[in-house]
Amino acid sequence: MCNWCMKHGAGGKWYLNARNYSYELAEAMNLQAYLEEQWKNFEQVYIRKIMGVSSIGLGYKLRMPIIGRVIRRAVEGMIHSESKNRNPVRADGHFGQVIPIEEAKLIMLNLAAEPIIQNYCMCRLMQKGIKDVCCINFGVLSTVIEKLPRFIPENTKVRLSRDEAAAALEEQNRKGRVATVWFQPVPYICAICSCETPQCGGLRLRMDFGLHTVYKAEYYAEVNPDLCQGCKTCVASCQFGAIRFSPTLKRVLIDPTKCFGCGLCRDRCPHDAIRLLPRDENPLLRGKY
Amino acid sequence: MVKTKIVIDYSKCGNATGGIDPRQCGKCLQVCDPAVFIRHMAFNVKEDNPYDPQYWQITPVWLSLCTHCGKCVKACPQKAITVSF
Repeated sequence: MCNWCMKHGAGGKWYLNARNYSYELAEAMNLQAYLEEQWKNFEQVYIRKIMGVSSIGLGYKLRMPIIGRVIRRAVEGMIHSESKNRNPVRADGHFGQVIPIEEAKLIMLNLAAEPIIQNYCMCRLMQKGIKDVCCINFGVLSTVIEKLPRFIPENTKVRLSRDEAAAALEEQNRKGRVATVWFQPVPYICAICSCETPQCGGLRLRMDFGLHTVYKAEYYAEVNPDLCQGCKTCVASCQFGAIRFSPTLKRVLIDPTKCFGCGLCRDRCPHDAIRLLPRDENPLLRGKY
Repeated sequence: MVKTKIVIDYSKCGNATGGIDPRQCGKCLQVCDPAVFIRHMAFNVKEDNPYDPQYWQITPVWLSLCTHCGKCVKACPQKAITVSF
């Protein structure tokens, strides 16, 4: 279990703790106003100057000697901020974790606070200009997003029942997208996204700049060499470049240090050759999120 | 270290600065494989309804990920993008 499970998991995983979804928590944190302020101008977050520095050319800024390390520390502190005076326009305390589809559905069917909505993914809209109904938001955030016309899908339902939302996530999984659950802000949970690189803003910071906006799942994938037939289906499903095919061995190899544990390869494998194992039970991967 | 510079001529692109509305175009967003550009609401403009902003512009943000493929320069109908490194 990660640091956030220790703090907000009530003895289990942070995203399986019902308290983190509750209206009481949202009210205590005054989140209606906070999220409204955040979402009104969310697309500006990477352009806005924060402490005098914007994300424009972030890759170059992080590579600067000393200053780069200072910026990295400051950004990590902001992403994981639990301070009382968090700033909504900087998206303080907004980060998530990859989860396999069965856990995403479990959250949707049992834990997510009503109302549940589907809306256009902000990341794809701002980075690719693509209107794609794939984000599932719930709780206080639903009522906030419903006020913002640019995220409201045309010709389709906005509010979903639990079963419909779980089915929508399943459909995204079939398309090859990674389910991620999000604190916004920590410890309140109000979104399950279906992410992919490079369009997802969170995965961008993690994959390209090593910032912990998205944590690896509580699992990692392992391939059974006896069952793998070398069909390479899983290679195409991996968003993280963790799988490759060995022509000599005639089977795939999974790099557990690159694996985010989303389970897409397992879901795709026609031979049931891949399984997810708990990260905690492997002494070499434990704590490596 | 080679640093990529991408400059957008905001007199041609961005409806707050006299250019076209990037919500109607977005060609650079679509052709860019590493997704370097971000389309966002303009800063420092008066919006009638802050929940439904009407002034937008495009900023190249993830410059270090640019692969110098030149597709955005070719795709821009306004010829507003220049890339140098």
